[in-house]
Amino acid sequence: MPTTLLEQSSLFLQQFVNGMTLGSIYALIAVGYTMVYGVIQLINFAHGEIYMLGAFLSFSLVSGFFGVGLPFVLAVTIAVLVCALAGVLLDLVAYRPLRRSPRLAALITAIGMSIFLQNLALLIWGGQIRSFPRAVIPVFLFAPALQFGEVVVSWLQVVILLTAVILMVVLQLIVHYTRLGRAMRAIAQDQTAAALMGVNVDRVVSYTFALGSGLGGVAGILVGLYYNAVYPTMGYLAGIKAFAAAVLGGIGSIPGAILGGGILGLAEVFGAGYISSSYGDGIAYAIMILVILVKPAGLFGRPSSNKLYRG
Amino acid sequence: MHLDDRLFHDKKLYLPLLIVVLILPWLPLGQAGPYVIRIATLTLLYMVLAQGLNVVPGFTGLLDLGYVGFFGIGAYTAALLTIHYHWSLWLILPLAALNGALWGVLRGAPSLRLTDDYFAIVTFGFSELIILVIKNELWLTRGPMGIPGIARPELFGVVLDQPWQTYYLILFLLLLVLWVVVRIRNSRLGRAWFAIREDEIAAECVGINVARYKIIAFALSAAIGALAGAFYARWFRFVHPDMFKFWESILILCLIVLGGMGSISGALLGALLLIPLTEVLRIILPSEFSSARYLLFGLLIVVMMRWRPAGLLPVERE
Repeated sequence: MPTTLLEQSSLFLQQFVNGMTLGSIYALIAVGYTMVYGVIQLINFAHGEIYMLGAFLSFSLVSGFFGVGLPFVLAVTIAVLVCALAGVLLDLVAYRPLRRSPRLAALITAIGMSIFLQNLALLIWGGQIRSFPRAVIPVFLFAPALQFGEVVVSWLQVVILLTAVILMVVLQLIVHYTRLGRAMRAIAQDQTAAALMGVNVDRVVSYTFALGSGLGGVAGILVGLYYNAVYPTMGYLAGIKAFAAAVLGGIGSIPGAILGGGILGLAEVFGAGYISSSYGDGIAYAIMILVILVKPAGLFGRPSSNKLYRG
Repeated sequence: MHLDDRLFHDKKLYLPLLIVVLILPWLPLGQAGPYVIRIATLTLLYMVLAQGLNVVPGFTGLLDLGYVGFFGIGAYTAALLTIHYHWSLWLILPLAALNGALWGVLRGAPSLRLTDDYFAIVTFGFSELIILVIKNELWLTRGPMGIPGIARPELFGVVLDQPWQTYYLILFLLLLVLWVVVRIRNSRLGRAWFAIREDEIAAECVGINVARYKIIAFALSAAIGALAGAFYARWFRFVHPDMFKFWESILILCLIVLGGMGSISGALLGALLLIPLTEVLRIILPSEFSSARYLLFGLLIVVMMRWRPAGLLPVERE
């Protein structure tokens, strides 16, 4: 146990760095939930599986699981693109036919797709935990980038934080300064009105899925490297936590998802460190339930999407 | 009359069915006998669970993604009461159901104003928290060690240790649950639930006390789940937190999606088709792929929602 003040504060700082790393990954996933919810009011339960797919694809491509081993950067790029495509396909196959059905039908379909994809991964890759072979990953990632006394920040953590920040900035630019972003915001406000103004709703929804799923894929790759563990059920818990982050930030709000991700990451690390490690996952559930019950709009969300109390 | 009800009123239909179910343990099945009875018992158990779940998403239109939590509460209630106090099954069953109902109300009361996805998320989170507590509070539940050696069920002092006896026990519980569910569905209460399902605002406007009727639905649904759990603990004689994973909630949901949400006979049919299939797949598939049978359930849910959202035995909408 750390006893001196110095030891305690360096433990605290280390936890903070670890929490921020985890949080930026949750934020990347949470953005995917929130964007899709923003445009079609659907909780895409299968989003966690896209993240898992990102991890598995990058692992398979660099380690030669499919027969050929590709260079790291190329493998990662392909994995992200395939994830984006998978998100678009998911929407085309499962959700689009149900656009005019009751919301419950789409929600149940999303759960069905999540289970389907998770078990598909189990069939393809098996249930054991896979690790990236060290030889194919750029070596510098595991070296310490910064060191203050006991506190170590690895290059991988720096890369994760930077990637998350850059992607979030790019995403904000897309949403606020491009035609596509304007169309997305229009659909989020009023889908019918947007369609009447000539917005091609289906295409914009596809792009939204592509963007969200691509980011989810990036998160999967980063986590696969960070924990060096890739397995079929990894998307389940991460998906729930990221969803909790999205709810906390206010579902539908991108800055909310980023903030929520950060808070969730810190809460998890500090909760495990200072409160109870066995209830680590429970913190995410508890936050999620409390936010929904007490302040369903979250930190940044628009006032309740709940049809009864919309006013 | 509900289309769904014909199964229970049309004697031409239900008498032969009842006879088949009653004589099943006495059919000359030879070597496979005990195994067939085991699967039949499991199927009946899931029929009870499907009936219980059906009350919330089927009757009131609120998606419950955490039904397994009540199953777990019932199982652990029965396991602990049996281990520590050696009470009779017939005392434990109502107590477990009551405990389930209590938690159903505790979960339902704060989520009354939630609809659709937010309700589903709260139910999911709640059930995961319950299982997490069961896993971590070692002083109460022994956590991941599970509780072994739970006494078998008994009736008038006779221990029910033959497979056919437990089969009749769960059959009795199923008939009891069916009787309750059918009666309530056709009562004023059932009509109030349907009104809430079709349009909550309209229901409120015609004077239905939405909150009260929702709470009753949550309590009934949870009580049935816990009842099934209590039977399960005494039948299986072992409980473990991993028996109550999220998958189970989805499996039960899958049963009523297949049969048709809100359809009582549909929930029976769903279990009749899927539970034996699950067991057969468990044997046929090589062990490393056996959990991949859930792939079929995922696909089934998607396909049903796309092409037959009202299920195989849809309820007639008036």
